[in-house]
Amino acid sequence: MTVRFDLLPLLLAVTLAAFVCRAGGFWLMRFVNVTARVDAALKAAPLGVMVGIMVPAALRGSTPEWLGLLAAGLVMRFTHKDLVAALAGVAMVALMRVVAR
Amino acid sequence: MNFTAAGLKRGYIAAQPLALGVLVYGVTFGLLARNAGLSIIEAVLMSATVYSGSAQTATVSGIAAGAGIGASVVTILMLNARYLLYGAALRPWLGQASTLQAYSSLYLLGDGNWVLSIKAHAAGESDTAFVVGSGVAMFLPWLGGTLLGSLANEWIADPKLLGLDFLLVAFCTAMGVGLIKARHDWLPVGAAVVAAVIVDRFASSSWTIVAAGLAGAFTAFVRAKEPA
Repeated sequence: MTVRFDLLPLLLAVTLAAFVCRAGGFWLMRFVNVTARVDAALKAAPLGVMVGIMVPAALRGSTPEWLGLLAAGLVMRFTHKDLVAALAGVAMVALMRVVAR
Repeated sequence: MNFTAAGLKRGYIAAQPLALGVLVYGVTFGLLARNAGLSIIEAVLMSATVYSGSAQTATVSGIAAGAGIGASVVTILMLNARYLLYGAALRPWLGQASTLQAYSSLYLLGDGNWVLSIKAHAAGESDTAFVVGSGVAMFLPWLGGTLLGSLANEWIADPKLLGLDFLLVAFCTAMGVGLIKARHDWLPVGAAVVAAVIVDRFASSSWTIVAAGLAGAFTAFVRAKEPA
């Protein structure tokens, strides 16, 4: 129920980082233009991060996790609702773990 | 130029259809934050300060893997880099508000209320308080949802059997697939996969996230064409 003191500096740092992103573009527009290259890089960074989270999970997992990833990806492709897709992935993992018992 | 209570109310009401989705999303974050080892207060504190579903999800995933301040900050910067564009796009309109009004509106800026605000402004909305009004309408259910989710986690006996330990990864997979909009997005994805597989062998998961994000951004930067 408590806050770990060693986590507080991290929370403060990520808070500042999040605000820098929110305020930064607004502030910078007084001085610069966003070029097409910068625009593309800013849009691709989150995609890369998501891959960076998926890959270790896929490398360390086995059949339930692989099928879970597949289910989440496919459901997202068809429904375009991340919440539904995530829950489908979780349901698949839960099901496969029960089956594997 | 104006910043009135009426404009704030219009924004607040306009965002209500999105608020329920934010609440459910908040519950999910509360659940996965608890599964990743955050306390209830820590989860709610993070929702109140970082206020970004994808960035919080990735950061919590990093913390669970032992990420320090450096990796966490870089993760946030990459996931929220799109806000640089959002803020830049709002400049012509929100720049008419006072500095305090503008930056407090930006603190509550999210994907949903940014889109709403841009649309409303294009349709003739001139009151800059619309931005903060729609922001508050999304912020409150986000906090409430996080609290509900982290409390609900106490009642679940075996999160692993329900697959809840996979929720984080499943969410990131869904969000990642959702971000693939065109064929040219696959090249950054490929670069990120290669970077992730290599870095995963030598470093902790938190740095794998950073490496993959940078690889994706750099690839997109290099291949994009500047208009002549």
